[in-house]
Amino acid sequence: MLSRVADSLYWMSRYIERAGNIARLVEVNMEVLLDLSLEQQGSRESYWYPLLDATALTEKYQALEDESKRPEVPEFLTLSLENPDSIRSCIAQARENARMVRDQISDEMWLELNSLHLFLSSPAAAALWHRDPEDFCTQIIRFSLLFQGITDATIPHDEGWQFIRTGRFLERADKTTRILDIPHRLQSGRGPLPWATVLSSCSARAAYRQLYGGEVTERLATNLLIFSDVFPRSVRFCLRMVDEALHAISGTPRGQYSIEAERLTGSALASLDFAGPDEVEMMGLPAYADQLQTKFNDIGQQVFATYVLLPSEVALQITEQQRLVYAYTSQSQQQ
Amino acid sequence: MLFDSYKTDGFFDEMFGNGGGDAPRDHYGQIWDRFSVMNDEELQGKKGALDRSFLVNGITFTVYSDNAGTERIFPFDPIPRIIPPSEWETVETGLIQRITALNLFLYDVYHEAKIVKDGIVPMDIIESAEHYRPEFKGLNLPNDVYIHICGTDLVRDDKGDYLVLEDNGRCPSGVSYVLENRAAMKRTFPRLYGNMNVRPVDDYPLQLLQTMRYVAPHGKTDPVCVVLTPGVYNSAYFEHTFLARQMGIELVEGRDLVAVDGHVYMRTTKGLVHVDVIYRRLDDDFLDPTVFRKDSMLGVPGIVEAYRRGNVALCNAIGAGVADDKVTYAYVPDMIRYYLDQDPILNNVPTYLAWREEDRKYILENMESLVVKAANESGGYGMIIGPKATKEEIATFRERVKATPRNYIAQPVVSLSRHPTVCENGKAEGRHVDLRPFVLYGDRVRVLPGGLTRVALRKGSLVVNSSQGGGSKDTWVLRSSLGES
Repeated sequence: MLSRVADSLYWMSRYIERAGNIARLVEVNMEVLLDLSLEQQGSRESYWYPLLDATALTEKYQALEDESKRPEVPEFLTLSLENPDSIRSCIAQARENARMVRDQISDEMWLELNSLHLFLSSPAAAALWHRDPEDFCTQIIRFSLLFQGITDATIPHDEGWQFIRTGRFLERADKTTRILDIPHRLQSGRGPLPWATVLSSCSARAAYRQLYGGEVTERLATNLLIFSDVFPRSVRFCLRMVDEALHAISGTPRGQYSIEAERLTGSALASLDFAGPDEVEMMGLPAYADQLQTKFNDIGQQVFATYVLLPSEVALQITEQQRLVYAYTSQSQQQ
Repeated sequence: MLFDSYKTDGFFDEMFGNGGGDAPRDHYGQIWDRFSVMNDEELQGKKGALDRSFLVNGITFTVYSDNAGTERIFPFDPIPRIIPPSEWETVETGLIQRITALNLFLYDVYHEAKIVKDGIVPMDIIESAEHYRPEFKGLNLPNDVYIHICGTDLVRDDKGDYLVLEDNGRCPSGVSYVLENRAAMKRTFPRLYGNMNVRPVDDYPLQLLQTMRYVAPHGKTDPVCVVLTPGVYNSAYFEHTFLARQMGIELVEGRDLVAVDGHVYMRTTKGLVHVDVIYRRLDDDFLDPTVFRKDSMLGVPGIVEAYRRGNVALCNAIGAGVADDKVTYAYVPDMIRYYLDQDPILNNVPTYLAWREEDRKYILENMESLVVKAANESGGYGMIIGPKATKEEIATFRERVKATPRNYIAQPVVSLSRHPTVCENGKAEGRHVDLRPFVLYGDRVRVLPGGLTRVALRKGSLVVNSSQGGGSKDTWVLRSSLGES
């Protein structure tokens, strides 16, 4: 597979997962705001800033020159084109990547993605957002799930699909830690932390109830969303999927590694396999989430370095002898 | 109804003889029956469904002049153009004759140039053609093919005779619209299409692939073929992805390729993979920054060296553009006589060459009634249509023709044939059309039945280019009898 194609599939997938997760973040926050007392409602806007922190967008938001024209935070996160990570920008970028690999994806995938892009660029999208923001978020979340289902059901589960999965699960792992982080960023002391809302926004209400019953605690919610081996949005589950996909791409048996990204993923996964809520409590959830996010970044950079960047550098400085070696190793990799 | 107030206004009309809106030509009988009973609601419904399907399928082109890279759909008219079998046979043999002569000419120009020595085409003309590449003289190409893919523009004059307007021998585009238009029409008018015994177009991608394989270097039997695109912002990007997907081969950009030691490879996640044949949708100038334009970010450094060494084939060949220069064009009938000893089946539009003193005088004196074109521009740019131009435009072109006569040609205004086209008022009106058939030159010459019919949607306009308000129609070539393909 062309390196550029692998890169585009990976980012198409990441951006779609990201759009869905931003919708989840916005949804949680709106829910929390609904429960505020009347006195607290005066400072509604301040309840949105933690979300900017959680998504590392504070600087970009404050950099918007004209304060009077600066969109409100929820708008900035959903429809603003000035935010490269807004839902609308994510979908536009996913579509741009899809357009570059239009010959590699199914018509069904393209149709869904292109239709959503056209919708988000139309006045109807802004109208829906202002009339019923919750419905807007629900639709984005539903789209990202639908798109992933279509992907899994319409293209061969070969190398390209593994890059799609790598992007999807790395992004999901990252955003799950960010959603988990919100209650703490909203400051304790302003009432009970909204763990039930966090669970719903991760589609985890039913899973939680089955495992732990009705009462929602921070410890158990964290346990489910970080350490569950079977819940498909938990960090551990996502990392296992990344690990599987990377090994399927390189052909290296699980448990071993041939590239740096595999080593980093394996090591992060092992530390989750042998840890639990105690470790999180010891470190504090924000710090724990933070070190996980750093690991995810490193994994993403290494995937890029191995499969996208490196071949070009190799190609530029290649000598005849290196070329033979290269041809030899690429043959042996295929076997 | 649709054709109630239809008038042919003295033009040659594809669908109607002189009788006007109720006397269709025989081969349009079924079209008339189907469309004239349609009420406005049904027609608008069909038209809306067609437009939507183009938009959501991303069958769009990008508008150059616009920084945002706005994507538009190519406007589509639902009334198909019908070409009866005997008429098509003439067109087809004429196109085969023409591409054969052009390839012989290109081989000759890049080898002994006998046609110059024999006094048929002046050397000046060849040497001053913008796309002439003397540095490739003496290079032998696989099977001596220079133009593998040709998109000749044809028009019909007031008598209904087909004339060649230009030979697009570099990177002609539009074939994806032919295939997508057909798919959309089959969905929208299944019964009409089924009843009319239309020749299919959908094996074009396969034939294109065969054409590419035919020129594989060193007679390789299982060559790696790719489509090279300038990238996602190119106006024909949709077509590039479409063709790559239909052929089942990789769509690459310049940055995906690397030339090492006279071979071209693509960069993959498993390392470098050797590439044998490239259908490049990139002009010569942008192919290789070490040879042509140094600022080209789209090309592949070293690709020309690999091409020279015969390790990679390019479709079309470098330097093929000398044959579709608008001045060289004027000599194609002579080429046909010279190389094939035949009379041209398809005639040129009469052409005045400004570099000939006599012609120049005529052009300068009669500019108000001529179409004047720059020799190396395409897409409807760099031209004026005398009768529609302003005084200032005419003055500007006069100066230009005087300053660089080699760069200009002029032709009488051909009153292009017209075809009923659905207009905004829901009525059919006559609009001017041309036809771009696609010709593939491989182990034999194959002509795609029909081609892209382009329509000048603006009333009275003669410019059919998509970048300037043109639209398209599906083109149906009928079978002569059942069972014949």
